[in-house]
Amino acid sequence: MNRVGFTTTIPIEILLAAGRMPVDLNNLFITSGRSRQLIEMAELEGFPRNICGWIKGIYAATLESGIKEIIAVTEGDCSNTRALMEVLSLRGITAIPFAFPGDRNPESLRLEIEKLMEHFGVGWDAVNRSRERLDRIRRKVWEIDRLTWQENLVTGEENHYYQVATSDMNSDPDGFESGIDTFLEKVHTRKPFRDTLRLAYIGVPPIIEGFYPFLESRGARVVFNETQRQFSMPYGITDLVEQYRAYTYPYDIFTRLADITVELEKRGVDAVIHYVQSFCFRQIEDMVVRQTLSLPVMTLEGDKPAPLDARTGIRIESFLEMVGDRL
Amino acid sequence: MRIGIDLGSRKVKFAVVANGSVIRLADYDTLSFYKRFGRMVDDELTFDLAGTGMFAVDELVNPSIVVTGYGRNTLSYKDAKVISEIRAHVAGAKFQTGLKDFTLLDLGGQDTKVAMVSNGRLADFVMNDKCAASSGRYLESMATILEVSLDELSSHWEHPVPLDSTCGIFGESELIGQILRGHPIARLCAGVNQTLVKRVLPMLKRFPSPNLVLTGGVALDKALVRLLEQQTGQPVLVPEHPQHNGAIGCAVIESIRV
Repeated sequence: MNRVGFTTTIPIEILLAAGRMPVDLNNLFITSGRSRQLIEMAELEGFPRNICGWIKGIYAATLESGIKEIIAVTEGDCSNTRALMEVLSLRGITAIPFAFPGDRNPESLRLEIEKLMEHFGVGWDAVNRSRERLDRIRRKVWEIDRLTWQENLVTGEENHYYQVATSDMNSDPDGFESGIDTFLEKVHTRKPFRDTLRLAYIGVPPIIEGFYPFLESRGARVVFNETQRQFSMPYGITDLVEQYRAYTYPYDIFTRLADITVELEKRGVDAVIHYVQSFCFRQIEDMVVRQTLSLPVMTLEGDKPAPLDARTGIRIESFLEMVGDRL
Repeated sequence: MRIGIDLGSRKVKFAVVANGSVIRLADYDTLSFYKRFGRMVDDELTFDLAGTGMFAVDELVNPSIVVTGYGRNTLSYKDAKVISEIRAHVAGAKFQTGLKDFTLLDLGGQDTKVAMVSNGRLADFVMNDKCAASSGRYLESMATILEVSLDELSSHWEHPVPLDSTCGIFGESELIGQILRGHPIARLCAGVNQTLVKRVLPMLKRFPSPNLVLTGGVALDKALVRLLEQQTGQPVLVPEHPQHNGAIGCAVIESIRV
């Protein structure tokens, strides 16, 4: 098989240079159309109920897809991934560990990247060529992001989709790029949104469905998707090691908050929704988020893939009301 | 005349306000109210308010009705304005207490809400979302296990037996275990009240204020109020009509700004 799965964003430049097809296992799980059943499958096999839904979803989606080789990010994401590697290896899947060094040390990160390059048998020239290819696509996605907050032409969900898809370029960079081109042509014919509230969405991408349209039906649009934007590597850095050091997601919360604070100001955001996954260590970091940001913050917790439930809807509406009253 | 309706998970509460004062309050069990007086007309829920016997005929000519409560997102109510629970409860608490700066703790049948009100406006709030073990329903089920009335349950606060289950259902078997150990019912009742206080304290700690207002049906539990005062180290203000606070808020919201 040509496909290589991964548990969170890794330098896909290496996979493309090696002629392998990158598959973000999160995307595979959540877009499968059967994400709820996949979670049930994992639970029937013995995954505890009180473990992150993404881990269970990735497990079942990997088995179902027939992917035989995955890159497991063992540092910089969650430690559940280590156990995920172990149980997948029991099912005959090769798991290659990759670690984002917690101290963002460039030498350590270079070593990790070069280990991965060695595994796939590629050198720096080929990797840099594929980075240039990917950067051409990424620049178009940065433009979609700019059109979201500066020109108000793009919905929160579209902004989410195009940015989140850059983690694996939908496993088809050429097809993904032509989809972007079509979208960019279409979007310029729109009339700008006239939102009453501008929101930021921070944290991991949502597992719940219908979140962005729900907000927009109440006059509030997400103009900043934090992690999704990070996937699109919006730095303009040409050194691969430095690019993955600038990438904030796998590092500490303070690194992330430095980026978030700049973007909130730049984009004229009124309020922040901090999404946390049930049973995730990032729920603890919510305390730091709340103490650091001066804007109103609502913490939203999601567990399994499901439509936005009535209680969460009530909380969001009340939050929007409160923020609206303050302006 | 203004009518406020709070469609709670256990009770439907009504408040009628005229000339700035509450002139009537009423409540019904939620299910029986929906069965007897609710009807779907063109995908909209309508209530046969005349049928409740609560209102004179002339009171229902062009009435001003404001509704809040669980389920309001999935249904629309004919002839009524719908507002969020938080807004309704804050309006009710402001009206009933006359305060402008306070922390509101509302403990309902399923909901636990904590709202911070500064200078008369809602500044921030939290609500339970994944678990309802800090609600009135927990007290009801524990009272059933102990075979005591809610009045009895709410009269004991001294020497609580520690109960540690996170889950309201496992809490039942834990309680049975403590009964078998021979603890007196009074101490077990106190333990149940104490458990609820422990569950809401982390939410309260987020919004410290010298004025703590307690509303919702659970505010009628005097033992719980006492334990809450003991553990927060501050007086707890329970307005005159805690259970009807949301309905009162609906009835007065047009006249006060929240």
